[in-house]
Amino acid sequence: MAKRCLVIDLDRCSGCQSCIVACKFENNIGLGNYWCDVLNVDPVGPHPDPDMYWLPLQCQQCEDSPCVAACPTGAAYRDPDNNVVLIDKETCTGCKTCLPACPYSDPTGAVRPSVRWFNEAEGVMEKCTLCNHLTAASDGVENTKDTVDPDHAVPPCVHNCACKARHYGDLDDPASGAAQVLAQAEKDGRNIVGLDDMGATPATRYIISATTGTWRGWGDKVVTKPKD
Amino acid sequence: MQDTLTRRTFVKSAAVAGAALAMGSALSGCLNDSGSGSTGTTTAAGERVFYNSVCHGCIQACPCKVYVEDGVVIKLEGHPDAPTSQGSMCLKGLNQIHTCYSPRRVIYPLKRTGARGAATATWERISWDEAVELAASKIAETIEKYGTYAFFASVGGGGSYSFVQAMSIPVAFGSPTVMEPGCAQCYLPRVATAGFMGAPGDQSIADCAVLEPFKGLAPLEAAKGISPSTKCIVCWAAQPSVSQTSQSGRGMAELRATGCKTIVVDPNLSPDAAKADIHLPVRPGSDAALILSWYRVIFDEKLYDEEFTKYWTNVPFLINPETKLPWLATEAIDGYTPPADMPADTPVYVCVDENTGQVAALPFGDPATVAAQVNPQVLATATIKGLESKSAGQIYRDEAEPWTLERAEEFCWVKAETNRAAIDLYTNPPGGVAGIANGVATDMQENASQVPLGLMGLDMIMGYVNKPGATITANGGVNPMTGEAIDNSPGKPRPTANYSSMGMQLAAVGYTIGMTEEDNAAAAAATMDANAQYALNQILIDRLGMGNHRGIYSWSHSHIPTVREAIETGEPYKPRVWFDMSGNKFAMFGSAGAWYNAIMNSGVDFIICQYPMLTSFQYECADLVFPLEEWLEATGAAMGQLNYSFPSPGIIHLGETVPNSVPPQLVVDAACAKLNEKLDTVVFTGTGKSMAESGLSFPMGMGLIGGNRSEDELWASQIATFGEAAGCGPEATKEQFMEALKNNADAYTVIPPEGYWLYDQHTVAAADGLPRGFSTESRKLEVYCTFNIKLGRTGWPYCYPREHVHIDERVGTWGGDYSPICNVPQQKEAPEVANAGNLALYDPEFPLALTSGRLYYFHHGTMRHSPFARELYPQPFIRINPQTAAEYGIEHGDWVEISSRRTQGSDYDPTGIRGTELYASGTKEHNTKTAEPIHAIAYVAEVVAPNVLWMERFWNPECFDSTQSSKTGGWQECNVNVITNAVDCNFNEVFGSYTNRAFAVNIKKSSKPANVWTQPKEFEPLMPTTPNEYVPEIGVLMTNKELLTEPVAFASAGGGQ
Repeated sequence: MAKRCLVIDLDRCSGCQSCIVACKFENNIGLGNYWCDVLNVDPVGPHPDPDMYWLPLQCQQCEDSPCVAACPTGAAYRDPDNNVVLIDKETCTGCKTCLPACPYSDPTGAVRPSVRWFNEAEGVMEKCTLCNHLTAASDGVENTKDTVDPDHAVPPCVHNCACKARHYGDLDDPASGAAQVLAQAEKDGRNIVGLDDMGATPATRYIISATTGTWRGWGDKVVTKPKD
Repeated sequence: MQDTLTRRTFVKSAAVAGAALAMGSALSGCLNDSGSGSTGTTTAAGERVFYNSVCHGCIQACPCKVYVEDGVVIKLEGHPDAPTSQGSMCLKGLNQIHTCYSPRRVIYPLKRTGARGAATATWERISWDEAVELAASKIAETIEKYGTYAFFASVGGGGSYSFVQAMSIPVAFGSPTVMEPGCAQCYLPRVATAGFMGAPGDQSIADCAVLEPFKGLAPLEAAKGISPSTKCIVCWAAQPSVSQTSQSGRGMAELRATGCKTIVVDPNLSPDAAKADIHLPVRPGSDAALILSWYRVIFDEKLYDEEFTKYWTNVPFLINPETKLPWLATEAIDGYTPPADMPADTPVYVCVDENTGQVAALPFGDPATVAAQVNPQVLATATIKGLESKSAGQIYRDEAEPWTLERAEEFCWVKAETNRAAIDLYTNPPGGVAGIANGVATDMQENASQVPLGLMGLDMIMGYVNKPGATITANGGVNPMTGEAIDNSPGKPRPTANYSSMGMQLAAVGYTIGMTEEDNAAAAAATMDANAQYALNQILIDRLGMGNHRGIYSWSHSHIPTVREAIETGEPYKPRVWFDMSGNKFAMFGSAGAWYNAIMNSGVDFIICQYPMLTSFQYECADLVFPLEEWLEATGAAMGQLNYSFPSPGIIHLGETVPNSVPPQLVVDAACAKLNEKLDTVVFTGTGKSMAESGLSFPMGMGLIGGNRSEDELWASQIATFGEAAGCGPEATKEQFMEALKNNADAYTVIPPEGYWLYDQHTVAAADGLPRGFSTESRKLEVYCTFNIKLGRTGWPYCYPREHVHIDERVGTWGGDYSPICNVPQQKEAPEVANAGNLALYDPEFPLALTSGRLYYFHHGTMRHSPFARELYPQPFIRINPQTAAEYGIEHGDWVEISSRRTQGSDYDPTGIRGTELYASGTKEHNTKTAEPIHAIAYVAEVVAPNVLWMERFWNPECFDSTQSSKTGGWQECNVNVITNAVDCNFNEVFGSYTNRAFAVNIKKSSKPANVWTQPKEFEPLMPTTPNEYVPEIGVLMTNKELLTEPVAFASAGGGQ
């Protein structure tokens, strides 16, 4: 069974949020919704060298995909060819049953941090698709001579990632872009972690060295927006 | 003049093999909305093509691909072959689609129809003919009435560079006045100081001067055997990851991955600081003292490169204490005559010979040869002609004496042991060479000249110059300091530096360093036009602010606060008609409120602007706006990364927009024609006589430099440069060129690495048989910057052959002269610092230090209209340490009011003593209120020290949108530049830099100001689906195919006046 997801190197991520904007342009996402987001994990420890990192966040492509189980209409599904967790917007009724089922989503699908977002204009639930419209047949190793080559395309958030922190591919295919980066990180002795399991078993992996920070998921205090 | 608008035809149908289906649906919703019956482009419906280009989103130029469908740009992505960005494109770049199609775009000339500053500005669309005639007649009428100095210009960075045009247009009209809010506050102090010291490059990463650390990072380059050499990089006051995210930010990420050690000196925990091996959180404004603590350790422990320092720098030179200049051997040693083969353009100085302990001649030459004659002592003192004369090194060491690591900890708030670890890493990087990258922060402080003097000098005494891994290395094809092509072929003349200012070469104004005095005098005497020489020289002497701050000469600019004071008082002359060529002056100018008041209360007769959109400056102040092309419309110059250059073709074109080089040329042509009919009556202010009597006509000097009368000239240059790489040849038509670029990822050029990554140029034999050396008088790197001493005394080399008066001695920190080395200038507004004495003044009413920096979202004042940037950063945050926040009762997320002396006290009095005079007199009055306090949201975390605050610079809500219930221009609500000090700060002595960072403020809990958008959905009016704000009948730009036009063709194209 294919295990397509992103592998994100937190030693490289500088929190620039270019992935958010690349995603919004590619997927025509309106204001206030973030299929791809970057959390500023609050610094821990005293000035001048607190422990901090940025956490890019999007659908974790969970192996147990509780959203699929929870969806009453079958709109939440796995792509039969490549196993990517998706939402069929034609059959989604916007009932939001999936939101409490997803351990990484806001209960309203409207407040950061959240991996699932409610599209008010269309009345449907949305989330990261790994840009399956570009990558469905891709091995995750980009063809730099032809970036839209369907056999090798990567999501624009990966292609444009300023610090080359993001990698895409099938973790069950050792030749995929994501699997290769993960294997190298393991060889280098860097920590490979994921968000708390919460019964979902997220496939998405994060790489973080001790020099970058102590892994604490998205932390206690997520700093994304102010009080009003 | 006539406008001929036809459909752009180059976007023709061609299949994108295998791509059309695979590509996403970005923005296709916008396309479907089109109600236009226009023929638009000839691309088949739904067909996508791409073109190579380079992003203009910041001052870097990341190669990218621009995807077009139905004449609409629908996608941008980084170009994978780019040697530094390697396929990435940051959010500033990606958001350029929204910049191009913003509802705030200006695509036709606009004329204000109501009063300036009105709550609701109203605009009338006028023709290009009318617009050029209006601008030209206002300029001509004003100059006729008040003389040539009534004209002034300004420029900025961001989306529309008009650097040379703005510099040269005042001279064309016989005026000295032009200003740019960057300049003395951004890059000029670093690049100019590098030139003054003879460095073969400066230390700015952001400005692309520093190339060497990014060598060999990309797989394409590694495949050619090119590998990185830098083993330690010191980012001092620089934050590449946010300033140039996909370029130097990517470069830093790759460098760190190679194992290169990084030291970051920054009060704020920037991304680069967070990832650094050593972070020195220097107290804002105290950098010079920290630098001196490095010198102290390096001198005392002999950590410097001894051979390089002895033979390639002026550090061993003995300095005459009376002149503060190095003793010449002919002065110091009785009966000395230079060796017969020593060229007259290469003086011989003196040092103490370490072998004999005696004063000895130190001729320039190959170190091995010279070492056989003399062994220069770095730290030395000798008596010459009865005067105790120290070596430059000894003078530096004495200056550093107070700055022990412990004293630096007390003053700079950097722990002694961390500072020591940084010095050790920098002076002994594992396995190679280190280098310093000096960023913009210090350009905005009192120490703007001292910091680059100190940091360049450190790399020089460490010998980190012209070698693999060193940031100060003259590689990259062209020497950025001298403009000469870099190669290592022997037999070239010794390096010289021509210090003519813009437009002065024609009349031989300015001294060429490296030529003898006799040769300079002969060149000046042989001028083609003595009247022009006199007039241009007078313009230099009369330029506002040059009485005291002459480093700005190197960019031909005026001192901004002095210009404002001249508008306020009419003294010494009043600038009245203004041509601005950039964005939001209120976001960018320090003490923005003072500028607003000057414009509204003291009068500027007419304001002409050119910009691709309106900002709150144009909204409140412009009388006329010329519409400029955005990047995706503009045909640019050859740009790229490292040795890779990519094309920059105009890909789409909207309405009647033009390149930034066109309006200045059309206006100069038309205004000069009017003025030249009245040479008998128009007065050249510099002589007080008529132009005819002064032997002058318009345009003066070299006229407008960099102007164009049509876009065709720019296309010709593009095609000549890239035609061959594109496959159509350099003679192709525009249509053939664009056809050849279509879906052609390989259309770019590469300089072979062996002609690009060059080292040791200073050692190559010159025509005179000596090593080439550096472009100073001594031919060595002048760590002790003699240039500064001479500049302050007479305006040399710029004013040559005439002389300016000595600067006000209260301005010069080196006994009345500009300091030739790093020293610690007084910080006028500081938090309470132990034992600070007179070096950091504390005002209990403003007990906190505020500094600022860039964030990823915006470049300078640009992108504030980009909804995808603004929803992520809707309003400014102010970073506060939890301890300080607790003291002030402020919690994370609270709105905070921030005040400074610019918002408190009695109103600023423009008729009282001002600026330099005010601070130099020592008067401490609080008559500097120019605006109300600003607001930001508290970000409480351990990212700054207690009593230190940090904000994004220039933040500006631009809240004049028609959806607002009540409008303001939007410059005053949250803009940090309202509280910065360009009124009565300690202007940097050399550059007049005002204090945009490291000044004193107070804070209190507050509430959200009206008109500031904070929620994502509030930015809907900025989405490209919103109709145009100024010419509503044209509707949504992105979908209206009627707006897809050929570039404007002017009847005068190619014909000139």
